Parts: sequence; C-alpha cells; structure tokens
Amino acid sequence: MHTAPESSFEHLVRTYAGELYRYAYWLARDRQLAEDAVQEALLRGWRAYPRLRDRGAAKSWLFAIVRNEFYRQAARDAPLADAVDIDAIDLADERASHAGLEMREALMALPAGYAEPLALQILGGFSCAEIAALLATTEGAVMTRLTRARHALRRLVAPRPVRAAGGGAR
Amino acid sequence: MNCLDYRRALLGSSDESAAMQAHRVECAACTAFLAEHAGFEAELRRGLEVPIPGGLEQRLLDRGRGRARTDRRRFLAAAGVAAAAAGVGLFALLDRNDPLALACIRFVMLEEAKSIMMGAMPRAEAVRVLADSLPFERIERIGQVRHVAPCPFNGGTAYHVVLAVPQDKVTLLVMPDARLPASESASYDGLYSRVVPLRKGSVGIVGANRAVVASVAGAVRG
Repeated sequence: MHTAPESSFEHLVRTYAGELYRYAYWLARDRQLAEDAVQEALLRGWRAYPRLRDRGAAKSWLFAIVRNEFYRQAARDAPLADAVDIDAIDLADERASHAGLEMREALMALPAGYAEPLALQILGGFSCAEIAALLATTEGAVMTRLTRARHALRRLVAPRPVRAAGGGAR
Repeated sequence: MNCLDYRRALLGSSDESAAMQAHRVECAACTAFLAEHAGFEAELRRGLEVPIPGGLEQRLLDRGRGRARTDRRRFLAAAGVAAAAAGVGLFALLDRNDPLALACIRFVMLEEAKSIMMGAMPRAEAVRVLADSLPFERIERIGQVRHVAPCPFNGGTAYHVVLAVPQDKVTLLVMPDARLPASESASYDGLYSRVVPLRKGSVGIVGANRAVVASVAGAVRG
C-alpha cells in the first residue's frame, strides 16, 4: 500500500520531536527559542521530505535542519559578532570558581560549543563521526570537545569541601 | 591500551570499545573508574533531558498539516490563474529554477549555519572588498547587517551577508567574479531567490518572502 509522504513525516515527528526539542534547547538555552527553531525546521522538513533520497538518514537530516534553523534565527536576532575560537576557551580557568553545581546548572555554564556535541552524543545517539559531519568539523575535534566537556562537568559538579566542625555559617 | 588511554577514551565516548573492554577486565582500577563513570553518565543524561513542553508533538503536527494544506491551496490557485491566463506553455514559469539562483537557496539551506559559525569579517574589510561590486554602505542602507564573511560558493568566492530588513531576514551572496547576462530566479522549499547582475559580478538574494526578496533585489541595484 502506498504511504503518503506526509504520513511518513508525521511518524518522524512523533518519533523525534522530543529529542529535537532537547537538542534545540541546548543550542538556544531557552524554551521558546528552542520550540520556535524546531517548529520552523520541521515546516521546512515537511516540504523537503518527499525529495529526501536516503530515508535512512532522516534522523541526522532532521537534526541538521534544526541546527541550521537555530543559527538562521540567531543571525537574524543577534548583533554582528567576530569569530570565537571554541577550542581556545580555557574551561578550567573560566569555571573553576563554580564547583559544586547541579548537573543541569553545570551544563548551562558550559559554552554551547561544548554542550552541543554532548547533546548529540547522549540524546541523539550519534557517533563521533556523525557529530563531526553535523558540526562540519573533524572527528578528532569532536572527541576533544567531548573529553574537555566531561572533564569540565566533573569539576563543576564535584562536591564542595566539607567545612570543619564549628566553622560553618549555621 | 593503558589506564590513561582507557580513561581518555571513556571521557570522549559514552560506550566502551572492544579494546577498552579488553583492558578493563584486566584492570581493577579501571573497573572502578568505569563504575564511577557510569554514575556520572547517568547524571549527565538526566541533566540533558530537559522537560519537553506539554503538547509539543501535537503543536508541531498541527502546524505542519496546516501549512501543507495552505501550500496546496496556494499552488492550486496559482495553477488555475496561470492556466486561465496563458495556457500550459507559461505554466512552467511559476516554478522557474535558474541554476545560480537555485544554488543560492541550497547555500542557505545547507551551508549558511556553517558560514555563520566560522565568524564575521571586520566591517572595514567588507567595505574594501565589496567596493567595486556592491558597496557595503548601500547594503547597510537596505537593512541591518547581522553577518558578513567570505565563503566558498559555486566554485569561487562569495561574500555572505545576513541582512535584517523590517519585514524579514534575507541572505545576500555577493559574487564579484560571477558575471550574469540577465537576472535569475528560483523557489524551493519555501525559499525564494533572485540573482541580479551588478556593475562587477552579481548578487543573489534569498528569503522566505517573495515580495521582500524582490524589494531587496531592486534596492541593491541602487
């Protein structure tokens, strides 16, 4: 039986809506911006889906459209900015004073360029090679960012030192 | 593989490879590290799994279905007007897709995000490189420049400009070396594109609103 392209696409939306929203959230760090990016991306996807040749790649295709849509919106809304070299940010120096955070707070403290590959790996289930293709970088660079991100998170969520008896504020 | 290799590899990946597993079963310290790491990974997953807004899936589906119906109605209305006015021969003009104009749309769909992520060029440099083709000051009179940078495009170099105009956002691709005998146009996936000749080279304009694209295409010619 012939299945209409819209029906197949609706199945994709039902399957991946949550993952796409969470991915967009870690790009935008804002619920409304994340939902807007997913809405616009899926509208584009809806129209383009009948022409998608490799249906097996639909998941990474959807993530790529969401990413593209987020940066399109960000470029529309944000002022002109010079390039930031994400790999040159010293996570240790920047975040050392914030140890003891909850994991979500720690993730919010990470630059988006580090949280994004984590979200793609853990939420999206993508391999380093797939993430590298999505981010238009090398597999080695992805591995480095994932390692640095986890190191930084471990420091950030590390328990605060226990104070000596009698020295507490309470 | 030694302990350091094992731990580095584990921090870059949430799973163990066969080589990692082979090391770990022989190493009590790395076995303990893995157990601690598994707890960290579970906590990390919980941190990433932000709550999904209620009704999100249905909102996405409803909006998509509504847009699909609107697109079909618009298409049928346009087809009716075209058929009545000019017959089947001119009907193809409704969806004219010239190659350079289509390449501009493909850039916006597939390459724009990457270009923006690579960062912007200084304004003074943009003023200098665009002086002979499309003066940067003219672009700034049309709208607010959000991004400008060189980028590889269509076998050469183009200058990618993201421009916020009052009604929308448009993308310009200024191609100083692409000479064009006449204007081109295309539409694809809800995006519209016009490429117009300049004194030197040409410029592609891409946006989601056909009228805005046409308006900017008129404005860039001065």
